[in-house]
Amino acid sequence: MLLEDHIRKNKIDTVLICMFMVALLFSVIFAIGFAFGLPPIFAMAIGLPIALAYIAITYSFSVSSVIAAAGARPANPQNREEKLLIYKVEEMSLAAGLPAPKVYVQDSRDINAFATGRKPDEAIICATTGAIQQLNNEELEGVIGHEMSHIKNRDILVATVTVAVVGTIALLAEIALRSLFWSGGSRGDKKGGGGIIIIVAIIFIVLAPIFSRLTYLAISRRREYLADADGAYLTRNPEGLASALEKIKNDLPDDPKGSKTVAPLYIANPYKRALRNSIWSTHPPLDERIRRLRSM
Amino acid sequence: MDLIWWILIIIALVFVGILLWFFSFYNRIVRSENRIDNAWGQIDVQLKRRADLIPNLMETVKGYMNHERGTLEAVTKARASIMSAKTPQESMDANNMLTGALKTLFAVAESYPDLKASQNFLSLQDELTHTEEKIAYSRQHFNDSVLVFNNTIETFPGVVFAKRMGKKERQMLQIPEASREVPKVAF
Repeated sequence: MLLEDHIRKNKIDTVLICMFMVALLFSVIFAIGFAFGLPPIFAMAIGLPIALAYIAITYSFSVSSVIAAAGARPANPQNREEKLLIYKVEEMSLAAGLPAPKVYVQDSRDINAFATGRKPDEAIICATTGAIQQLNNEELEGVIGHEMSHIKNRDILVATVTVAVVGTIALLAEIALRSLFWSGGSRGDKKGGGGIIIIVAIIFIVLAPIFSRLTYLAISRRREYLADADGAYLTRNPEGLASALEKIKNDLPDDPKGSKTVAPLYIANPYKRALRNSIWSTHPPLDERIRRLRSM
Repeated sequence: MDLIWWILIIIALVFVGILLWFFSFYNRIVRSENRIDNAWGQIDVQLKRRADLIPNLMETVKGYMNHERGTLEAVTKARASIMSAKTPQESMDANNMLTGALKTLFAVAESYPDLKASQNFLSLQDELTHTEEKIAYSRQHFNDSVLVFNNTIETFPGVVFAKRMGKKERQMLQIPEASREVPKVAF
């Protein structure tokens, strides 16, 4: 497959999965409305504002909380290694035609990097000191190209919104199940024939949070492949990133630094399960990413 | 009576839809052409920055490399041709010349340990390499933008409107293959 085809396919996949996610949110709201005997419009009038408010709140706190969780600090241009990192970020931003993001450094011997920021003009790219010291010029370029693609594709926005939708679905399901539990006994008799459908609706409400979490993870893995392909398009050198991922694979720490909240943002999940292929992974397995990069 | 109203509403909606689509398509052509000019602006800024660094570099190496007159002159000459270039392609050619001349200069510098140890020289070398890379990537973005624009105006429906809007195919910046590898020399 050509690089452009990789990029297009990944984009279409993401759109489809996002649509599924929105459909899931709406179905949950309808199912809850149904379980309580509320008309759909009434359920929407209550459910949608809760969903939107939750998404807006998560969205507005996303950047500062990530920087704090990672314990990152701004890169110091007086230090040659960090100056060269700032240079690399500037170069890749020109290749992508984006404003240059702010550069942060996380003191850690693990090789890793992440990007955050809701819009390209307030974006941040952060690399670990381990990445700066252990990756060569081309490998670092590949990693920065990958992060720059996350910014260009607005993945941080996609991730923030999908995480918020997952949270909303969990919240709505929790509220619904608790109130059903407390008012459950008296309801069944009134409805009579609707009993089985109500049970189906309740089962759906129980399972929806799990579905939504799996959907979010599928989106996250798609976006990683997309950023790999797009990053390779920016550097015109897939081997740089492939070789960096290989170094990361051989250097997975036993005791990763940084909190689990930042883990999905990193270029590779710092926990050992980065090697396994599972529907619960935030990232595709490293071997598969390397294989795809080398086949480009 | 009711039916006629419905048909009129649908026709009006279709018409508004076509109009909106046309506006957005028109804007897309204008935007993608502006992006090309903006990308050229980025290259131009980097070329100037690079040319500005050369006198500093000359000042730094002068004391050490007096015997390498030919190497130094080649750099100065290339810098002068960047300053006097008129078209984008001329600028890029002059830039290639400068890249080649600097490559020689940095290679020669290898045999001057005092110079190589100089903090000033090292940071100038880093920065020249950096502007070199910036020019290469800006050029790549320029060519990507040209490709998008040319594709838009040469495929349907662009091919119908582009001529009427006075839009013509744009030229990419040509560059010899070898120059892409230059930055590695500095490390």
